[in-house]
Amino acid sequence: MRKITSLLILALIVSISLSSCSSDDDAPITEEEEEEVPLGDYENGMFILNEGNGNPATASVSFLADDGMLLNDIFRTVNPDAEEIGSYLQNMFFDETRAFIVSGSANSVTVVDRYTFEYIATVSGDFEAPRYGTVANGFAYVTNTADYATGDDDFFTVINLTDYTTTRVDLNNWSEKVLEHNDKVYVANGYYGSGNSITVFNPQSNSVEAEIDLGAGNAPNSFEVEDNTLYVLTSGFGIDGKVFKIDLSSNQITSTIEIPSEIESVRNLSIEDDSIYFTSGASVYSLGINETSVSTTPVLTYDSNSEYGVMYGFEVEDDAIYISDGGDFASDSEAYQYSLDGTLLETFTVGVGPNGFYEND
Amino acid sequence: MKHTILLFLATFLFASTLYGQDKPIDLGEVLIVADTKLKDFSNTQETVTLSDSIIRKSKPSLTNLLNTNTTIYFKENGAGMVSSPSFRGTTAQQTAVVWNGININSQLNGQTDFNTINPTVFDELTVRSGGGSVLYGSGAIGGTIHLTNTLNYKKGFRNSVSLDYGSFDTYAVTYTGEVATNKFNTKIAVNRSGSKNDFEYVEKEGKNLNGSFYNTSVNTTIGYKIDSVNSLTLYNYVYDGERHFSLIFPSELPTKYNDFNTRNLLEWKGDYANFTSKLKLAYLTEEYKYFPNIDKPGFSTANVESFMAKYDAGFNISEKIQVNGVVDFTQNKGEETNIQQETRNITAFNLLLKHNVSNRFLYEITARKEITNTYESPFLYSAGASFKATSFYTVKVNTSKNFRIPTFNDLYWQGSGNPDLKPETSYQAELGNHFNFQNIELGITGYYNALQDMIRWLPSGSAWMPVNTEKVKIYGLESQLGWNHTIGKHHFSANATYAYTVSKNDKTDKQLIYVPYHKGTATFGYALNQFSAYYQFLYVGEVFTNSDNDPKYNVDAYNLSTVGLDYSFGRNKNYTLGFTVRNLLNTAYESVASRAMPGRNYNLHINLNF
Repeated sequence: MRKITSLLILALIVSISLSSCSSDDDAPITEEEEEEVPLGDYENGMFILNEGNGNPATASVSFLADDGMLLNDIFRTVNPDAEEIGSYLQNMFFDETRAFIVSGSANSVTVVDRYTFEYIATVSGDFEAPRYGTVANGFAYVTNTADYATGDDDFFTVINLTDYTTTRVDLNNWSEKVLEHNDKVYVANGYYGSGNSITVFNPQSNSVEAEIDLGAGNAPNSFEVEDNTLYVLTSGFGIDGKVFKIDLSSNQITSTIEIPSEIESVRNLSIEDDSIYFTSGASVYSLGINETSVSTTPVLTYDSNSEYGVMYGFEVEDDAIYISDGGDFASDSEAYQYSLDGTLLETFTVGVGPNGFYEND
Repeated sequence: MKHTILLFLATFLFASTLYGQDKPIDLGEVLIVADTKLKDFSNTQETVTLSDSIIRKSKPSLTNLLNTNTTIYFKENGAGMVSSPSFRGTTAQQTAVVWNGININSQLNGQTDFNTINPTVFDELTVRSGGGSVLYGSGAIGGTIHLTNTLNYKKGFRNSVSLDYGSFDTYAVTYTGEVATNKFNTKIAVNRSGSKNDFEYVEKEGKNLNGSFYNTSVNTTIGYKIDSVNSLTLYNYVYDGERHFSLIFPSELPTKYNDFNTRNLLEWKGDYANFTSKLKLAYLTEEYKYFPNIDKPGFSTANVESFMAKYDAGFNISEKIQVNGVVDFTQNKGEETNIQQETRNITAFNLLLKHNVSNRFLYEITARKEITNTYESPFLYSAGASFKATSFYTVKVNTSKNFRIPTFNDLYWQGSGNPDLKPETSYQAELGNHFNFQNIELGITGYYNALQDMIRWLPSGSAWMPVNTEKVKIYGLESQLGWNHTIGKHHFSANATYAYTVSKNDKTDKQLIYVPYHKGTATFGYALNQFSAYYQFLYVGEVFTNSDNDPKYNVDAYNLSTVGLDYSFGRNKNYTLGFTVRNLLNTAYESVASRAMPGRNYNLHINLNF
């Protein structure tokens, strides 16, 4: 991921923008700012995906600008006459200029400009319960669950990003989250406790290059790359959660961090500032990137009355922890911004069923 | 919106219409009915029986029939798709459907899909408002819908065939036949219905995709009089249907759903001078298959078998006092893709009393206590009185405690089911006012219903678990009006209903989603010689679809008109040819958000009796 480089730049931008905010009007315009051509209204901030319920009118995208301003339902604001995105919005991913929004119910991917959010196209066909996507080699790779009961029929929908035509590539393994790194595509082969490997996929040849076995019961649910190391968080039925570190030059597991059994059903790995964060229930835990044990004391535990959606979305970005609560999936719900030491900074009312944060910079 | 309500109310009052509580046709014969409690113990509550002619008008589904003729609100997930009721502001699981006295709500999800019941295979349909858990068990909270088959040992061989065809390739074929002697009677009703259901949307591009359905219903009733005292009656009802679930987006994965249900009931009745003995044995099966992708063989499924035995001893202590003692035993055995096989046994004791103190005053008291290993069962009761104050005015009061037991899914869903659940309980009270003039009937009932321990699925650690949590308070008003008038050869009739419903979550003080504040229906009929015509009007107020009642997401109010014309011919007017136009004004409307319903559509039908 671009996160390593973007991290430093972001930290810089944030500190600049924060300080400039405080003396906004009077601040002399620097030359650098003068040269900057704004790319769109949604250039600096974070998208929040609100998956919605059975009624597509409840699915929406919110935008939390770096200055703390929240804008809800930006797709319909910008594109009042465009086709609806669909409901059960599952995931959002990007290339240089575009954002791609995956809808589980409409079985499609909507393409918009990532900075202006103007509608570009709807991609449909060759989808069967699409889940997550990434971009590599000029193509988008979207995982599909197909029949939920089996991983054997899971596949990639490959979208040609010049003409939005699609093809299918079979994966035949539980295929969920996906990321691109150094021209390779990595797939987390885990689905609610089923599957226990990482697929290494070559987008040049459109074929599986390797499969990294994580051991029985260790179903990957989230992963991230940091310094050419793939960090994989696993959990499974009756088995302790783990963080695997995989060296991507050799595809070998270099070490494994065992998570104490008191911390059950771990999810949502996020790496920020040399710290590994993950969640369990309504709590957030962390450890240093080089530490080998996990403290059972959480960084924070938030209050949730949600019937189905505790810790429905989670991300650590820009020295802050972002949590979204699914609420009752029948009304607008909330997102929270916490400091890294667990102090609540802001509460935002977003859309129905907020399930993810996506930095846009 | 306000305008529409006023308009409707004006229509309602002006026409001084009245809801015709069509009485079951009295043929002067002893009518065999399994659900006798409906007549005997519903004197202090509201019941409305829909006659044959109304049932025939409102094909093809129970949803359409009840939506256009009663105060019950329906949430229909697209035309012909899953349909769930809200009766007096309650949830879909709080309306019980009763087939010949047996509660047939699904054991899996606790509700009945009203688009899987075809009313044409029943002889009578009665709607009983308010609590009825003592008599009809779980889910009889908002009210009960009674599907009744009758037998009358009137010698003869009678047949009827009816054919329907209309827009979107919608068809229905119904045959009913009856052979009766003094001792023996067999009645069979068969219906096959289906539709391509591929209507064009009104006011927007596109059409209803993947919405086709077909189903077959067979209902058989066989009666045998053993002697002057004893009789045996066997009831059998089979429903087999397939539906493709319609799409909102053309790119969606098409899915389909199969239902297969059977219901069997054997009743042995002994009718002595002051004592009635009834033994009932019932066996019910329900099964569904859900295909998440039509093009693939994979599906999830579940089935439940239920066995029921009931003994009912009725005593007429005097001419004025009737007492019944009832013992019943129920066993449910279920298996589902996500449920291991589970068995549930329930034994219950009931005591019922009716006392006709005088011609003007009667009271009824009923009570039920269950014994079961699976949940803690409350003591249930109902008490009511009816008083005829004047020749034209009767007042009824009733109060009851009712329940809805946890379903198989609630109790046993793998990894999440909660075996410690209590039933949902409801305390309710109502006051009914009935005015009966020469050719006008008016009923106005006010009610209050406090629901507690509502079962909702909440997170428990990382899993979800159903728990008893929320409270809901409901109050409202229900009214019916019926009017008949004849001038020479001209017959006029008018029926109307109106309901005002407030159903609020106690904690949030918000109206429950998909419960309209206002709903009204009206039907005006005119007949002259061989012709008869009617106009039907339906108004459904706006509903909230989000729990915070954000009006942005509301489903708008709508009103629909239907007109029909029938021509009867043949020697005894036993043949009828008819034409119906539904959604006359081609209104664009939705019952469930984002699910467009059909515009103007036509239906031609022929009915032959021989």
